[in-house]
Amino acid sequence: AAMRSRAEVDATLQTAKLNPAELLPAVQCLSFGPQAGGGECCLLQLEPGLCAELEAGRSLVIRGEKDEHAVLCSKDKTYDMKIADTSNMLLFVPGCKTPEELNADAASCNIIHSQIAGFSKNYWELRRCRPKLKKLRKLLMEDPYEGPDSQKDQTSTFSKYTTEDLLSLIQASEEEILHQLQVIDACKIEGYWRVLDFDYEMKLLNHVTQLIDSESWPLSKVPLCACLEELGSLEPREMIEHILLSYGRKYVDAGEVFFEMREDKICRAIAQMLLQNAVKFNLSEFEEVWQQSVPEGMTTRLDQLQGLALVDRSSRPETIFLLKVEDLPEDNQERFNSLFGVRQKWTEVDITPYIQDLCAEKQTVGALLTKYARSSMLNGVKVYNSRRPIS
Amino acid sequence: LSHSAGTGALAQWVLVELQGEVEPRQSRDLAGSLLGDLHYTCEGVPVLIVGHHILYGKVVQLEKPFAVLVKQGGAPQPSPTGPHGHYTVTALIKTKLLFKTRPKPIITHVPKRV
Repeated sequence: AAMRSRAEVDATLQTAKLNPAELLPAVQCLSFGPQAGGGECCLLQLEPGLCAELEAGRSLVIRGEKDEHAVLCSKDKTYDMKIADTSNMLLFVPGCKTPEELNADAASCNIIHSQIAGFSKNYWELRRCRPKLKKLRKLLMEDPYEGPDSQKDQTSTFSKYTTEDLLSLIQASEEEILHQLQVIDACKIEGYWRVLDFDYEMKLLNHVTQLIDSESWPLSKVPLCACLEELGSLEPREMIEHILLSYGRKYVDAGEVFFEMREDKICRAIAQMLLQNAVKFNLSEFEEVWQQSVPEGMTTRLDQLQGLALVDRSSRPETIFLLKVEDLPEDNQERFNSLFGVRQKWTEVDITPYIQDLCAEKQTVGALLTKYARSSMLNGVKVYNSRRPIS
Repeated sequence: LSHSAGTGALAQWVLVELQGEVEPRQSRDLAGSLLGDLHYTCEGVPVLIVGHHILYGKVVQLEKPFAVLVKQGGAPQPSPTGPHGHYTVTALIKTKLLFKTRPKPIITHVPKRV
């Protein structure tokens, strides 16, 4: 079709009974571009900060396999994507000028032909969400590292994952993934991210704690060099350093590297080692054995076991059993279902370590409990149970 | 599954929001056909003449800007689980022209009393 002329525009204005004197001199004739109907363009509504990131040249990535709901990841955040329908037609017009732009351009001609690049009745909305990190642990637990002597590694047919592999498989931002790798004490062996097999990890920890004991080092000042020297013949140096990094806080004093051993984390690991050998334990017996098993100078406390073990104070005698939060479902409703399957009624104190990680930005445990549980009083104490009938 | 900004500054586009469907006068494809004339009053009010209608609107600065994603390699519709495939951010949209008022019909011919 031939492009509209200024004369045609003026004729339309006359028919429409609009006074050209009340209008800016430039008209923009909008027509549909050649690709407009193709549906290849879509709109993404940006949350605060994302626009600035794009303008700074940083990328956003959409992650998700066909069976997963897609998420959008910036460098450090993850967002759920949802289609929002409007009842209106949204047209996207490159080069369309606002009144300010027309006024600023003194030499502009009085007719501009603009093409509509595309149109849509909907757009993608973003909502910040928790990164989906459970899969990360699951992937790395497919093939935990059992040490250099293990035959497994040589003949292993399991997948091993590099950072790039994890970035393409996990629905989370790069920073969130790298942070989680640190949280789960993963380490890079021959370029692949690995988690240690728990028994191997305890073996390494035991080497270190025994050495600390025999050398009478203070728990707050364990020298790296001496450890590597004494234990280097037993285990790879990288593994010795890794276990020190996992269970201690690194610092430098007078040019030498030391570790302040983390009492809570060590006590917790030893508790796990004891608890995983049976379904449940007599609480007082467990507490005695546990205290005897930890390094000299360390004190065990039940609050070190939050999210790891659960105490049953209603049984006679009182018992304790292993319940690891990382083994529970990631989805909110499924998590609550499984917790109520373990125990019908929970106090807030007991359940908090098992739902804390579900809290979204600015969401509280209380808000979660209100949404997914029903409260009642039991012997003067507030307890929570399932909203659903127990089948 | 990634989309990223190309080199160089991102283009700034404008969104035009209209009520209802956009239907071409002719039955042929939309591509190439005219939508209408966009004017602004001296006060900056956008006026869009579409067919026999005059639409008055307003310029809105978007609180949440949009990114325009273009799918690489031609498009089956995105599935309900999300947009899968390779996208590129082509432009940003920070401004929209919102036409929500009821269109004023243009009366082109007033029959004379006989």
